[in-house]
Amino acid sequence: MVTREDVENIALLSKLFVPEEELDGLTQSMQEIIDFADTINNAPTSGEAFDNINNLSNVFREDEVVESYSSEEILKNAPEQAENHFLVRNRE
Amino acid sequence: MKYELVAGFETHIELATKTKIFCGCTTRFGGEPNSHCCPVCIGLPGTLPKLNRQAVRYAIMAGLATHGEIAKISKMDRKNYCYPDLPKAYQISQLYAPLSIGGYVELSNGRKIRLHHIHIEEDAGKLIHRHGDTYVDYNRGGVPLIEIVSEPDIRSIDEAREYVEKLQQVMRYIGISDCKMQEGSMRCDVNISVRPEGTEKLGTRTEIKNMNSINNIARAMEYEFERQVDLIESGGKVVQETLRYDDATNTTSPMRSKEDAHDYRYFRDPDLVTINVSREEVEEIRASLPELPADKCRRYIDELGIPEKDAQLLTKYRKISEYFDAAREGVKSPKTVSNFIIGQIFRRTETESDKEVFDVSVTPEQLNELVKLLDSGKIRNNLAKSTLEKMLDSGKGALEFISESDMGGLDEETMITLCRQAIEENKKAVEDYRGGKEKALKALLGNVMKNSRGKADAAAAEAKLKEMIG
Repeated sequence: MVTREDVENIALLSKLFVPEEELDGLTQSMQEIIDFADTINNAPTSGEAFDNINNLSNVFREDEVVESYSSEEILKNAPEQAENHFLVRNRE
Repeated sequence: MKYELVAGFETHIELATKTKIFCGCTTRFGGEPNSHCCPVCIGLPGTLPKLNRQAVRYAIMAGLATHGEIAKISKMDRKNYCYPDLPKAYQISQLYAPLSIGGYVELSNGRKIRLHHIHIEEDAGKLIHRHGDTYVDYNRGGVPLIEIVSEPDIRSIDEAREYVEKLQQVMRYIGISDCKMQEGSMRCDVNISVRPEGTEKLGTRTEIKNMNSINNIARAMEYEFERQVDLIESGGKVVQETLRYDDATNTTSPMRSKEDAHDYRYFRDPDLVTINVSREEVEEIRASLPELPADKCRRYIDELGIPEKDAQLLTKYRKISEYFDAAREGVKSPKTVSNFIIGQIFRRTETESDKEVFDVSVTPEQLNELVKLLDSGKIRNNLAKSTLEKMLDSGKGALEFISESDMGGLDEETMITLCRQAIEENKKAVEDYRGGKEKALKALLGNVMKNSRGKADAAAAEAKLKEMIG
């Protein structure tokens, strides 16, 4: 059962501000999302638990250097940048 | 009341792989900000991490070198937290099924500091706080780490210091990390609590972060121990919190509660499949490990008769022990080789980093040759010593400085001449000796040794002197 406190806590952990008047609506929506996901728990299954549908394990890459992207390209989608860094403004 | 310190460590060590843990970007230190990055390590949507085989191997090596049990099945989990150093807002780590379980680090007092487990994870980016804003560089983001989690078995600052040094030593020996605390390739968080001596129940702990040297760890722990004891003595209670150490003021202060609001909501990372480590692979890796420093030290003591303190010095860094092993090849007394290294050579490699690199102008083969001349009685100890100095100055071999005439002992006639000369020149010492001062003979003996340029056999010279003045 999702509570208002759960929503508040998740908002805090995600650094999101949720206005008081939206809390009830969000609690309701979140409950619906979880109920939807829960249908999977009720699916009839048989046999052993499996890890992934392809039953894969040990997928590795070798330790070989691949060329990185240029910092211009890496920073292309940054909301703000300065001196080749992503810039995070202090909002306080 | 007397209080006992109880501490456990979480130690992060950057693995010496060439590439990051989930992508092929270089792990090289430095470089332009955000120039060692790709869509995977800056967490763009739709990218898929792929685990670096070498990182897993290194972590298994770390587990075996600390007597851990390598898990047959190991999995990656997501640790969720929202902070700019993590572009995905989660760190890929391990909680439920880490790679290595248990193990221990043995201290010189015989106590074993048990390890809870060792897991692999990705490093976060670097944040630079300036003018209230935060500049983010993801070059370090995605560099493979192991986290070594100890049980709360540490009981003193000295034990803490030794624990960190031992970990550093072992990880460097097996070559999986350079473990440089100053550069951040080794970082320790300390969980610390106090309890009245003789009691069992653990006190409330605090966690100290942000220490970048072993000395800082020791100072921070000292400060925090005193702080907790004072708090309890004055009727207060220790609050469980995370503290940041400030080395400028040598104090700890609480991190803002926001940074400390932990609810990681760990869950299995669906992007990464299970790691199965076969027993054959574990044994193959175990066999590939070099002899560990503790075993080597024990062997030097037991088999070569090296004093414990010296054996520890010789095994502190892998390069030194390799030098020693090469230089003692086929010599009669490994102790002699050890003495030359710890005495004369160490004077030229004064700092810890010099010792670690151990780049000595005299090769181990050249030292070996010198010691063999000594072994065969062709030269005396004093001459060997002064020759080694010349070798160290020039990088040339022993035979460059020792002529044929230097080799072989002194003939009787020369010995008598030298003794007579010593007696003539040290009348006072002769008188003293005759007056019963045994020690006065040393001055005479020193004179003979000096004038023979180290060729005289000290015992023979002493006997001859006694005979002549006795």
